[in-house]
Amino acid sequence: MPGGQWLELSVSCDTEAVEPVSELFAGRGYQGGVVIEEPFTQEPDGDNLAVDPSRPVIVRTFLAARDTKPEDLDQIRRALWHLGRLRFVGELVVECRHEEDWANAWKAHYGVHRIGSKTTVRPPWREHDPVPGEAVIVLDPGMAFGTGLHPTTRLCVELLEAELVPGDVVLDVGTGSGILTVAAALHGAARIDAVDIEPVAVRAARENAERNGVAGQVRIEEGSVGTGSPFAGRYRLVLANIIARILIELAPGLAAATAPRGTLVLSGVVESKEPAVRRTFDSLGMVFDRRAQMDDWVALVYRQPAAG
Amino acid sequence: MAKRVRAYVKLQIPAGKATPAPPIGPALGQHGVAIMNFCKEYNERTSAMAGQIIPVVITVYEDRSFSFVTKTPPAADLLRRAAGIDKGAGNPRTERVGKVSEDQVREIAELKMKDLNAIDLTGAVKQIEGTAKSMGIEIGA
Repeated sequence: MPGGQWLELSVSCDTEAVEPVSELFAGRGYQGGVVIEEPFTQEPDGDNLAVDPSRPVIVRTFLAARDTKPEDLDQIRRALWHLGRLRFVGELVVECRHEEDWANAWKAHYGVHRIGSKTTVRPPWREHDPVPGEAVIVLDPGMAFGTGLHPTTRLCVELLEAELVPGDVVLDVGTGSGILTVAAALHGAARIDAVDIEPVAVRAARENAERNGVAGQVRIEEGSVGTGSPFAGRYRLVLANIIARILIELAPGLAAATAPRGTLVLSGVVESKEPAVRRTFDSLGMVFDRRAQMDDWVALVYRQPAAG
Repeated sequence: MAKRVRAYVKLQIPAGKATPAPPIGPALGQHGVAIMNFCKEYNERTSAMAGQIIPVVITVYEDRSFSFVTKTPPAADLLRRAAGIDKGAGNPRTERVGKVSEDQVREIAELKMKDLNAIDLTGAVKQIEGTAKSMGIEIGA
């Protein structure tokens, strides 16, 4: 990689112009690389993510400053001007960027985080001395949700700490990175079964269970609850940190997996969708116990009746 | 798990050759994505396609975890290969740098269909023709 300074070139344009602008940038940019940032819309809980075609797209590329002459930039400007005759293409913006240790700089975002009253997450490259009773989860952040940095995870961990009785048998639905599974194991669950529909998450969760020395008491499989679930049976504690729409879809399966007198913890519910989730689980005969809230995220605790 | 999206970024990079250098480093680093994990995964999935540009769409969630899907090569890349040229025209309104056949355009449209926001193949063909035009590539019979 050429050291020193970089020039970041960016231009906004309409969707139709993205291909030719990218093509132009690819011909000049370092290693032919181009970044395309399409504006997007989403619901408050991230559901229904979609590209927003009404707003312009930003296309970027990077040039090594020392290999770039002013006339190179003029040439790019001229080419963009020509493309602008056919479609909307904005002004070229050129910014100077310093070389960074990109391979490691992202690590600054991950420190040692307290995510519950007695649960802490640390990345593998950071040390932490636990106090007595504190569970420390080692988590390599990556391609599965659940780094511990999100309110939905933290709400779930708080409720898990309160609800888990040592020796419990636990089901973790939508395990992601496996953070809740590992937390349950470290807090004394006898056995945890976990499912996720994404193979990447299953792999990450298995690695994280291994890394934390709890692989012996957990089973992590691809799948969900209900028909076709990899795990039958009923659990004293069921954890589901997903989103409202999916919790509603899975409601019968989640209720069925919760043993009589067992507890179901639902998280990932954005405040505006709480009533719909409550109605669904109430109608299944589950008994509402309490709610917890952090920012606009809500978690709910339900009990299965004795004869449920 | 709850997945509110923090960033949605498309990268056009050479298959099997992702590194933390630009554009990947600065594009993803600012969002706190574990860059080496991304590079490793991308390179594994695209190693068989070496020599081509394989776009990748990365979704970065609020807790900085991420997922990605790879796409078909850019239409411009496919058109250049079809026309046997190195790059598009400087001034596409007057300059003609190469020629592709209608069949070639249709083949590219079919390949790209699933990644284009076109209603049908005719719409996809129109988009590919538009890209060809803005590159100074002529379309023949």
